[in-house]
Amino acid sequence: MATTIKREYTFDKFFSGITFAAAFLVLAIIVSIFISLFRESLTAIDAFGFFGFISSTAWDPVREQFGAATTLYGTLITTLLALIMAVPVSLGIAIFITELCPKVLKPIFSTAIELLAAIPSIIYGMWGLFTFAPLMGEYIEPILQKSFKPIPLLGQLFTGVPLGIDILTTGIILSIMITPFIASIVRDTFALTPIQLKESAYGIGATRWEVIKDVIIPYSKTGIFGSVIIAMGRALGETMAVAFVLGNKHAIATSLFDASATITVTLANEFTEADGDLYLSSLFYLALILLGMNFLLLAIAKTFLARRGR
Amino acid sequence: MNHINEISKRKAINFFALSLAGAAAGLGLFWLIFILADVLRHGVAYITPALFLNEAAPPGLDGGGLKHAFIGQLLITLFAVLIGIPLGILGGTWLAEYGRHHSIGRLISTLSDIMISVPSIVIGTFVYAIFVKPIGHFSGFAGALALAIIMIPVVLRTTEDMMGLVPWEIREAAFALGAPYYKVILQVVYRGAATGIFTGILLAIARIAGETGPLLFTSFNNMFLTTNMNEPMPSLTVTIYQYAMGPYDDWHEMAWAASFVITLFILSLTILGRLIIRWKYKN
Amino acid sequence: MSDSIMNVNNLNFYYQGGVHAVKNMSLPIERNQVTALIGPSGCGKTTFLRCFNRMHDLYPGHCYEGEILFEGSNLLGRKDITELRSRIGMVFQKPTPFPMSIFDNIAYGLRLKGIKNRAELADRVEQALKQAAIWEETHDRLKQSANGLSGGQQQRLVIARALAAEPDVLLFDEPTSALDPISTGKIEELMVGLKQKVTIIIVTHNMQQAARISDHTAFMYMGELVEFDQTETIFTNPREKLTEEYVTGRFG
Repeated sequence: MATTIKREYTFDKFFSGITFAAAFLVLAIIVSIFISLFRESLTAIDAFGFFGFISSTAWDPVREQFGAATTLYGTLITTLLALIMAVPVSLGIAIFITELCPKVLKPIFSTAIELLAAIPSIIYGMWGLFTFAPLMGEYIEPILQKSFKPIPLLGQLFTGVPLGIDILTTGIILSIMITPFIASIVRDTFALTPIQLKESAYGIGATRWEVIKDVIIPYSKTGIFGSVIIAMGRALGETMAVAFVLGNKHAIATSLFDASATITVTLANEFTEADGDLYLSSLFYLALILLGMNFLLLAIAKTFLARRGR
Repeated sequence: MNHINEISKRKAINFFALSLAGAAAGLGLFWLIFILADVLRHGVAYITPALFLNEAAPPGLDGGGLKHAFIGQLLITLFAVLIGIPLGILGGTWLAEYGRHHSIGRLISTLSDIMISVPSIVIGTFVYAIFVKPIGHFSGFAGALALAIIMIPVVLRTTEDMMGLVPWEIREAAFALGAPYYKVILQVVYRGAATGIFTGILLAIARIAGETGPLLFTSFNNMFLTTNMNEPMPSLTVTIYQYAMGPYDDWHEMAWAASFVITLFILSLTILGRLIIRWKYKN
Repeated sequence: MSDSIMNVNNLNFYYQGGVHAVKNMSLPIERNQVTALIGPSGCGKTTFLRCFNRMHDLYPGHCYEGEILFEGSNLLGRKDITELRSRIGMVFQKPTPFPMSIFDNIAYGLRLKGIKNRAELADRVEQALKQAAIWEETHDRLKQSANGLSGGQQQRLVIARALAAEPDVLLFDEPTSALDPISTGKIEELMVGLKQKVTIIIVTHNMQQAARISDHTAFMYMGELVEFDQTETIFTNPREKLTEEYVTGRFG
């Protein structure tokens, strides 16, 4: 008996030990991602510094001059565009699922939206490149150009030759990709609104929309904000879909019809071709900046989502 | 009269706003159908036996297939699953059981959530730095490692959550019979959480099966069939990217066919996972 | 009268953070009798019950003082809790069937004890199910999931599972509070019958239940033992005013 008990004790220690090692591995991986990316970036950090790197628009492998400004700009502008389009649509979808959709259709509709999130980004890329971009270039963008170009200031956004391989197309595709993420988190947050709160608003004669606008949405503020930040993180890090339709051009775009490049696309296209140490190191530096931005955003989103419904 | 006007105005606003929400939902559905129909339309036409049976033909020649990419994809995914799933489940087990009260457990849990959203291409650069560069060449192992790293936090968090759903009283009841903790976990808690963990694994596989970015500079690509994980290895996703960006029409056709296969696989796994969850809730 | 299987002497229990939940308890537990612990919510009776099988050891920061003598030694000082727990079984408030078949549920404790022989397992599973008066309802579906049983059946299954390990003492923590009156009746009957084999300690909110099934009753209030005596005495002629007020329903 005593030996059995001793053996059980040993087994238990062993099992708790290996499970701990596995859990600790996650921590170790995260720390080593930061350390190794930082180490690989050192050459570029030495050469360009931090502010020098992010403010320089140079990207010249031949003269070995590198800066992050163009790709950072491309990353942020496409993300911003995607968010502008995705947020209202996602809120509409969440409202539809929680408040309007007939009960029988709810699971089907929810699954449909989740499928939109499950489609791999390379498929968005294929569809974007062969179907959606030509459609944009031939029909939609010329119409937009005709309607908006004459307007002063705003018209500037619609100059250039509309080819379909540009910031606008990328923004739209990104917005489709992040919509299900925002919609499903917001839907869950909406569901946390106490039923008594809704009922008392209906009780004083509010319409359904007024209940949504004055009770549910204010109550869900932190959740909505958190979901938008998570979606922003996804858009910043999206690679393949963008690689197909953005054109990979290192320049500051001033029109929606300009091609551009993001950090991720630059990594995808140039990483295996980078021949100089400084070139490769600059690419690692871009990856590190992207990781840093993403980590920061997600940490913010986590704190907001944790406060949800309190 | 004024009062009546006010009410009908509010009702009109209500109708308008709710219609917009309905339109947003319709838009979401429209995109889904548009994309899926497009993949189906292009993909089905080019699904031929040759696609699965032949290897790549030299550019411009007919009769090439993607056998090499299918096998490469399977091998990379398989190895990723073999590394990622045990580690994820074990780690999740610690978080849900032994590490329940540790602050480091909460930290790991939060960091895993963040890591799930780290851009996958960054994981690719990381594996390049720690594995490809020291060894000196691209390899199937490196690709599998990158996908495993993407998978671990997903499986870990699902395991933690699903084990957390097993009522605590059940564990106490097993302890009360004199079971040591590891037996309580292995024989009681895992059984209770099995369906949930299984679903999580399905969804994690669905997620890595479509990954392209992290493979670009880990497993790289290869026009030939190989089962040697220590060599550069072709994958469906990287091949789709390469073929789609290439100049030949038959490359584009094969890229569409491969897109169709991958979409079908991933959506089936996702729907299966959903169905299992719903079936479990019913019981 | 004084054939006690356990003796509690000056037991104190503190939760993490120093909450003093059980204060200076002393009482004997008589062999093959039913001892009921009663008292208002939060009086420490469940905490006290969970000292007997050292359930508190699962959580950090607890502290025992005093002793519970069991077979001549203080069980609070024992190292091998695993062995102790297989001798002192426990049945919880909510039924706790494991996510496995009815058979495997009962066999679980036996397998823990190292019994692997199939014939012996089958035999002892049947014995246990019969003792817990649930054999009739389950013998034709032993391979089915225990989650398919009703709440009352699940609770008897859990009792059978505890009995299979052949414990000396069975602890019941409000075992019928989640059940309907008919299931409650069956379990009460069962407990009275089980006295022949095991010693029973039961925590209950239901004073009629304590009166119906127990031989001795301990009344606790705010972590302290107010009165311990024959059940009949407690309910008909208590010494303490507080006990009288509680059992007659004037407070609690």
